Amino acid sequence: MDDEEYLHRFGTPLDPIQKDEVPAKKPLAIEDQIVKDENGKRRFHGAFTGGFSAGFWNTVGSLEGWTPQNFKSSRAEKASKVQQRPEDFMDNEDLGEFGIAPQGIRTRDEFAKDSEQEQRTGQRKRKLMQPQADGPIPGVPVLEQLLRPVRDKVAVRILKSMGWKHGQGVGPRQTRKEKKQASARNKREQYLREHYGAEELPGRSDGATDDDEYDAAEDEEDEDITFAPDDYEPIFYTPKHNRFGMSYSGLSRAPVLSKSSAVATPMQHINLFGELEKSAKQPKLSIRGQAFGVGAFEEEDEDIYARDDMTRYDFSLADKQPMAKKVAHVQQRHVIDGFSEDKASSTLAAPFAIDLPRDYVPRNWLQRRSRFAPMDAKRQQQLAAATEHKRAGLGRHDLNPEQRAQLLDEKHFKTADVQSKKNPFKSASSASTQTKTKSLLELINAAGDNFTKGGIITTTGEEQPAAVELSADLKQTNLELLAKAAAMTKDLPVNTAGAGFKPFLGNDAKQQRYEKFLAAKLKDDEEITLFLAVLQPVTLSLWDREMEKKEFIQAAKIYRPLAGLMQDRFVSEATVHAQQVEQQVQPKQRDKIVVERSKSMWKPSALLCKRYNIAEPFGGALPDAEKELKKAKPKMSIFEYLESSVNSKTDFQTPSIIPKHMEPKPKPSATATAQPEIAAPAPPVEIEKPVVAATPAKPAFVPKTPLEQAVDAARDKPISEKVDLFKSIFDDTDEEEEPEPQLDTKLSDMQAALGLPSSNLANAAAANVLRNTSPPRGIFAALFKPTDEPVAPAPAKFTPIEGNKLKITYKSREERLKNDKELELAQVPTAELYGPKMPDKLQTEPASTSAAAQAEASIDAKLQQLWEKHAPAKRKHEEWVERVLSSEDSEDDSTDSSCSEHKKVKTSKCKRSHKKSKKSKSKKDKKKSKKSDKSKHKSKKKKSKH
Amino acid sequence: MPEFNNFNCAKTIDCKQGAVRAVRYNVDGTYCMSCGSDKKVKLWNPATGLLLKTYGGHADEVTDVAGSCESSHIVSSSLDKSIIYWDVSTGTPVRRLRCHAGGVRCVCFNEDSSIAISGGRDNAVMCWDIRTRRLDPVQVMKDARDCITTVLTNEHNIYAASLDGCVRHYDIRAGELTCDKIGEPITYLAQTRDEQCLVAGCQDSVVRLLDCETGGLLSEYKAHQGQDYHIECGILASDAHIVSGSSDGHAYIWDLLEGKVLQCLRISDNGGVVHSLATHPKRQELLFARRRDMYVFSADLQIEELQL
Repeated sequence: MDDEEYLHRFGTPLDPIQKDEVPAKKPLAIEDQIVKDENGKRRFHGAFTGGFSAGFWNTVGSLEGWTPQNFKSSRAEKASKVQQRPEDFMDNEDLGEFGIAPQGIRTRDEFAKDSEQEQRTGQRKRKLMQPQADGPIPGVPVLEQLLRPVRDKVAVRILKSMGWKHGQGVGPRQTRKEKKQASARNKREQYLREHYGAEELPGRSDGATDDDEYDAAEDEEDEDITFAPDDYEPIFYTPKHNRFGMSYSGLSRAPVLSKSSAVATPMQHINLFGELEKSAKQPKLSIRGQAFGVGAFEEEDEDIYARDDMTRYDFSLADKQPMAKKVAHVQQRHVIDGFSEDKASSTLAAPFAIDLPRDYVPRNWLQRRSRFAPMDAKRQQQLAAATEHKRAGLGRHDLNPEQRAQLLDEKHFKTADVQSKKNPFKSASSASTQTKTKSLLELINAAGDNFTKGGIITTTGEEQPAAVELSADLKQTNLELLAKAAAMTKDLPVNTAGAGFKPFLGNDAKQQRYEKFLAAKLKDDEEITLFLAVLQPVTLSLWDREMEKKEFIQAAKIYRPLAGLMQDRFVSEATVHAQQVEQQVQPKQRDKIVVERSKSMWKPSALLCKRYNIAEPFGGALPDAEKELKKAKPKMSIFEYLESSVNSKTDFQTPSIIPKHMEPKPKPSATATAQPEIAAPAPPVEIEKPVVAATPAKPAFVPKTPLEQAVDAARDKPISEKVDLFKSIFDDTDEEEEPEPQLDTKLSDMQAALGLPSSNLANAAAANVLRNTSPPRGIFAALFKPTDEPVAPAPAKFTPIEGNKLKITYKSREERLKNDKELELAQVPTAELYGPKMPDKLQTEPASTSAAAQAEASIDAKLQQLWEKHAPAKRKHEEWVERVLSSEDSEDDSTDSSCSEHKKVKTSKCKRSHKKSKKSKSKKDKKKSKKSDKSKHKSKKKKSKH
Repeated sequence: MPEFNNFNCAKTIDCKQGAVRAVRYNVDGTYCMSCGSDKKVKLWNPATGLLLKTYGGHADEVTDVAGSCESSHIVSSSLDKSIIYWDVSTGTPVRRLRCHAGGVRCVCFNEDSSIAISGGRDNAVMCWDIRTRRLDPVQVMKDARDCITTVLTNEHNIYAASLDGCVRHYDIRAGELTCDKIGEPITYLAQTRDEQCLVAGCQDSVVRLLDCETGGLLSEYKAHQGQDYHIECGILASDAHIVSGSSDGHAYIWDLLEGKVLQCLRISDNGGVVHSLATHPKRQELLFARRRDMYVFSADLQIEELQL
């Protein structure tokens, strides 16, 4: 059959033609055979008939032609927004079974039967197991639990074929005893997991507990009956590689909703429609799959947009398939036939070691779950012993007055004692003179009417003819109470204004300023600036002043004495005692309860009145105590404390909290009359003074300057009367300057005596403990970058008034005045300048330094000389800080360590801000001054250390 | 003077919410509410003992509850330092108000239920505007020196009883605070219907009748035991009888004028403190709370008939 060779066959063969039938037509030639779709349209056309068929007869038109969509919108009838869907742009065939957006409902591949799937795709698809969810939601995905796969996983199928049933555990069958042990172990593990593990177990099967009940009776009966093991979630321990807390896993950097595959493989198809998806607002619009260029009956092209990767190439010439080794199959226990144990052990090479703090005590969480749970006795004892010193304090309260007097070598106490022997009120007056006066006061109170009649009360409290008519026990209780209160509070220093907290202990001058600031109780911001401007030394730059102001305000806010913040919440113990005593006494006096009525003003809030439908009393003109209170004390908020971030909290020196001197208030009527008499016999302040003076932390009371006095005096006056004060502040420049240097010199003298760093040496900013000294970062790095000449030292003309540069922006009159003043000051001869004053010895030394040392400091010296040439004659003798540094270095040069130190200083000078280097210098100065004055002030230095 | 009919136990309801801390009637006495130590408030029909609704949302024991004038809302106070404004029908908390520094002990509504007044262990009385969404109190009164045990209000007065032994009258109309010092810690305060007198249950096992106008002590009622317990007292709707719980499991009813015990209700013979009670706003009916149970006592014939 030669014809047959040339016959192309496709499709199913037709029935063979009957003999008697005449073939109607010739068979169609290949070129005439046209593929048509169900509508009879030609499917392929154009470019060698391989083109794509689209649209309406391969046009963009429609049966009606290309008619634009009409848009009509009127006031009455707003045009509705036209929603375009992808389907609008699709052909009918796209929506068909083989199109890109099939419309019919059919089972998905995952759920389709094998045969169905193969039929559909023509190839076997391999279903990969879903990777364990690494997403932000821990645990087994809910959907996975809801939607069960049609078929079991392979592993499950294998297990089932081996006789495993759902709900059982995996493993060899166990006897009862073994099972018991296993369940105990599981429980333990679960406990551990619950308490330490991050994720909860997804509901353990409860079958285990059921078994335990009936096995007690037939315990050892049948060893050969075996049971399937319990199902339990095994714990997979993952080795720890980091120092984060247990079970911590950081946030993944990938956005939460991105598909995990988005970053995964390099061989990833670049999804052209991906961008389309993103840019389009409508989430519905999503077209997937290949649409163009591939016909329905053609196989897919290779992915031409894929990025190539070298890993896909095979570089080796060797045979790819390794020689299949014949592995001797040794059936191992617990290993299913056909599987083998993993040989590669995944143990961590070196366990991760953590350096524990030295005093770290591991805690057993089993012992005490909550801090409110009771502790066991032993541990409590231990804790109590450990914190003993905390409760005991510094032991100051352990001594009684006699002992303390002995320690202090005080004699006059004895006499007081002797006197008190005669006193009928022994218990009170033996405590201290202070309480003695109190008792006296009490006496006077008690015998108030007698007093006027002429009863004689001596200073010792003896009363001659007129008898006290107080009931004896009342007196006794009163006195005891007083004595107790006095004993409790007598060690405390006498209360002074703002003596409670000392946040700026490091800097005495500053602390004093702070105290003055506190005492002034200024509210207005401008007032504060003015007030501080008077107090602050001129050397302080404007920025420092601003900083100090902020610090003060903040500190005042934070370290407000107890009186401010919590006064309304606490009552002193003494008053409580007094009340109790009163209450104890009163019921005895009266059997019947008499209701005491007292009335006071109370302002209901406007809203309350409104809600009660009542007009506000007095038209709302009542003074509102609450509001004023509120103004005075802002709400306690955590954020307020956060505001203090200017000074990190660690930098604050722990303030010494000095509680107020507590005493029950004496009755107000008596105080006025008794006052002059008390003043004479009792000088409690004087007794305590030596103690106070010994501690350098508490600055002595600084007498007020005339200006301050003026301020104090004028505070309550109307503005019109304050002219004097303003004059003294703004106009008179001479007066303002005078007190400052005095104060400063006095201070520096004191500090020198104590071996402390003089606050004048560096400016206040350098000595400021609270200043953030870390190098500037971010945009500030550029601002505070050291300039190119790091060595350029002295010739800063206005070093003491650096702040002036910043002053350009501020142009208020006072400041301009001040500025001028400071400029004047800068030209004052050195003798009148205050500031870093060097020891006399040093000033002469530079001349006598060795040549080598001079070479060391040559740059500095040259610059110095250069400047001195051009400098005005007035300034010739000025000793600037830089110079001192060089001289000191040259002096110390003989030792190796100092040399390296010097270098360090130099490098640091380059790197760090100007201020920092200054600070280090000032430190050195301090060292030096110490050295020179060592012999003189040894004893004092010791004191300062305390 | 209405004659006194003996009260009989009409119903015993096991509230099933732990210890019952307080029982209260709503405004017209058709429903009652119980506060439990299980942090829930329950709404009951006292006549049938039917549980209507449970309101859960507090974080600690509920100490007091009050219904609004139109019975559409409930306000409850709790030891979790908050008070919650509930929607009765849905059972959802509409507003949770926190400002007290300690547990809240008592709460009440004003007449048109626009203001809720609460008193707490932080010695403060706070007035809350619950019609608006404002979360901080309209007014805070911190005059008391000890826990506030009861707050009451009428048209223009707010009364606060405190453990410091004082009853404070905040007169909104006059802008005046009147402090009546009794001297004994006051555990509960009730107001007569005519708003002339206050009934104060004191810690020394005496119920005292105080005159609002003068602050005078009108009468004292003794028989019950109240030491160490927060015993509540009340006055019956007729304003003629005073009732108080007792720590021995009984409750006592006195004649207001004569001060003699009319009836001792033996609620239980085996102990249990009868600490909370509520008087029906119209009928002769009483609610008691003892341990986990709520007891409905009634003297009205109607009720008895209904039950028969």
